[in-house]
Amino acid sequence: MIEKIVDPEKMRHFPPKGGKIELYWVYTSGRAGEEFFRKLREGKFIAAKCKKCGHRYFPPRIYCEFDFSETEFYEITGEGCVEAFTVATLDLNEEPMEEVIAMIKLDNTDGRIIHVIKDAKDVCIGMKVKPVLRRPEEMKGNISDIAYYKPV
Amino acid sequence: MAVGRKKISCPPYAEGTALSERDISERRVTLFEDHPNLVYSWTAGQAMSRFLNELKNGKLIATKCEKCGRIIFPPRIYCELCYKPIDGWVYVKDTGTVQTFSISYIDPDARPLEKPVIVAVIAVDGASPNMGIMHVLGEVEPEKVYIGMRVKAVWKPENEREGAITDIKYWKPLEG
Amino acid sequence: MEVEIVKGLKFHKKQDVAIVGAGMTTFKRRLLETGKELSYFAVKQALEEAGLDIKDIEMVVMGSAPDAFDGTALKGEYLLDGAGGSDRPYLRVFVGGGTGVFAPIAGYWHVASGLADVCLVVCEEKMSCCHPHPQSAFKYIWDPILDRPLKPNLIWIFALEMRRYMHVNNIKHEDIALVSVKNKANALDHPCAQVAEKITVEDVLNSEPMALPVRKLDVSPPSDGAAALIMVAPHIARQLTDEPVWVTGVGWALDTTHWTNRDLYFPRYVAEAAKMAYRMAHITDPRKQIDVAEPYDPFDYKELHHMEGLGLAKKGEAPILTREGVTARDGDLPVCPSGGLLGVGNPISAAMGVKACEIYWQLAYRAGKRQVAKEVTTGVCQAWGDLMQVGTVMVMSNKR
Repeated sequence: MIEKIVDPEKMRHFPPKGGKIELYWVYTSGRAGEEFFRKLREGKFIAAKCKKCGHRYFPPRIYCEFDFSETEFYEITGEGCVEAFTVATLDLNEEPMEEVIAMIKLDNTDGRIIHVIKDAKDVCIGMKVKPVLRRPEEMKGNISDIAYYKPV
Repeated sequence: MAVGRKKISCPPYAEGTALSERDISERRVTLFEDHPNLVYSWTAGQAMSRFLNELKNGKLIATKCEKCGRIIFPPRIYCELCYKPIDGWVYVKDTGTVQTFSISYIDPDARPLEKPVIVAVIAVDGASPNMGIMHVLGEVEPEKVYIGMRVKAVWKPENEREGAITDIKYWKPLEG
Repeated sequence: MEVEIVKGLKFHKKQDVAIVGAGMTTFKRRLLETGKELSYFAVKQALEEAGLDIKDIEMVVMGSAPDAFDGTALKGEYLLDGAGGSDRPYLRVFVGGGTGVFAPIAGYWHVASGLADVCLVVCEEKMSCCHPHPQSAFKYIWDPILDRPLKPNLIWIFALEMRRYMHVNNIKHEDIALVSVKNKANALDHPCAQVAEKITVEDVLNSEPMALPVRKLDVSPPSDGAAALIMVAPHIARQLTDEPVWVTGVGWALDTTHWTNRDLYFPRYVAEAAKMAYRMAHITDPRKQIDVAEPYDPFDYKELHHMEGLGLAKKGEAPILTREGVTARDGDLPVCPSGGLLGVGNPISAAMGVKACEIYWQLAYRAGKRQVAKEVTTGVCQAWGDLMQVGTVMVMSNKR
């Protein structure tokens, strides 16, 4: 056996001040995502319905995960009702913030969206909400193009 | 029944929509960008901590296994062939032989380098055969490097050493 | 030191395993579709060939290389619904670049053990998410203390290995470049190819230097893509087709990450994996008994290196076989008839499409224009990866 190092001053971490993992990712939205964000720019929401079993997907997809058959897109209002919510008090970097995050079941679909609720005095389960979109020139092509949800 | 031999050519079609560089850089498709803020500090462990401390003193250290008789470099606290703890430390020299080398024109992100880097695997004197480490060569023209060339480490001055593999600036050809 | 890993292994299995369908998407530098959508297309094509529905699949194996490329941690779980994993046991395996043949090996375990009669194997990769270049994600394979401070690029280890291989066997770059010429030309007949073209040895030797001796045309490009395979038990195979392709041998082996302590001129880990697979498949003379081979060829010298590891050529003999045309599609031992990674593209694990799927299509006589000229009975595919560590081998045959 060899003599082990027991003095913590002699145990080394490398690099001493912490090494950064430099990674940078760019994600494409895929075929369904492209269609969804393009329609959002026109102020419309779309969902997808399986041609075989009729399951209504939101967010929309080009395939049904259960039958593996194709889906067709159809329009929805984007309004829904709150199924669950939480009040977030810490952000990613553990700085204080206050935001109501809700899981909203969208009307005429079997799917839900997670988003922020604003302009609401009391949020409760079953509350009806509708989306507020950004202006088309401010839209970036991701989920933040929906600015927030507010009570109907 | 699945289609039999020679009746179809597989794959029958190639699904997928190709995008060009400009489609991404000019945002012709919807995108989302993310840059994670990951900071790591890796613990060197028993053997490498001693290795890094010895580098600060300008020395190279290896470990030995009595059972198979190997002098293992870079050092580890176990012999992976005999699968037992090693039996002691041994200093090795800072000279060695080039086992293989390459002249690199690209940096870690695949961008072109102005001045090429000569990287080599150097089998260190004093350790068992083939016990090498990867390092860069310096003070030599790329065309003059060959397998079997004898090299010696060029260290940073003592006050600049920080206990890292870069305390050896590069390896240069051994004269004579 | 020669380590005999095969001596103690017992190859008990409950049932034989056959392959009845395969599929793949196109391989391109960047694709619009998300990973889920790519997996869906590959699986759909495989189901169409086999004549099965997704409801017939009992278990799913997904093979996908580092999460760092797609930028999605827990990538296996993310790809689940596109890969048909909803409502059935689903497993992700990953062994670096060797995943392309390791995922079918994992699928083999599912069926050979009797746990499933129909197993779907999917491999998917989206390397284009990583900016500025997928190489950036490879930075983190290196040892943080010994290697990373030197700012290495992964091409360095291949260049070091290529130099050692050329030195020990006294091989010229011209002979190695012939592999790149052959594979890129073979890929002209592949509908999914990314970089198929007719080039010459001079083009390779004059291409942009990356880390000498490796030059731009010696390397396969990073790609996005997906591939799928369907493995079934014998009684299911009989219902689906008269000519299933049987998996007769599997093998895998890894070597240490202390790669600087190895002599790089011979891939010992591939030889160990091949020994295991050949023992299972009762192959004693690979050069004579294998009819078609798809060794992993991310670099042109790797095809030769792996041919020697697989026992298809003696040490140093592989470039001679290439020069004499033995490894061409109409030769005695066609190697990489699909065009391999050099011609079709290298989406790490989805390379299954040009390795395992290609050997299956060749043995089922469904490779169309890529079909090799001779009669084929037995084929071998192999993959390799990590820090030059892993060898995964699969032997298939169309006779039981």
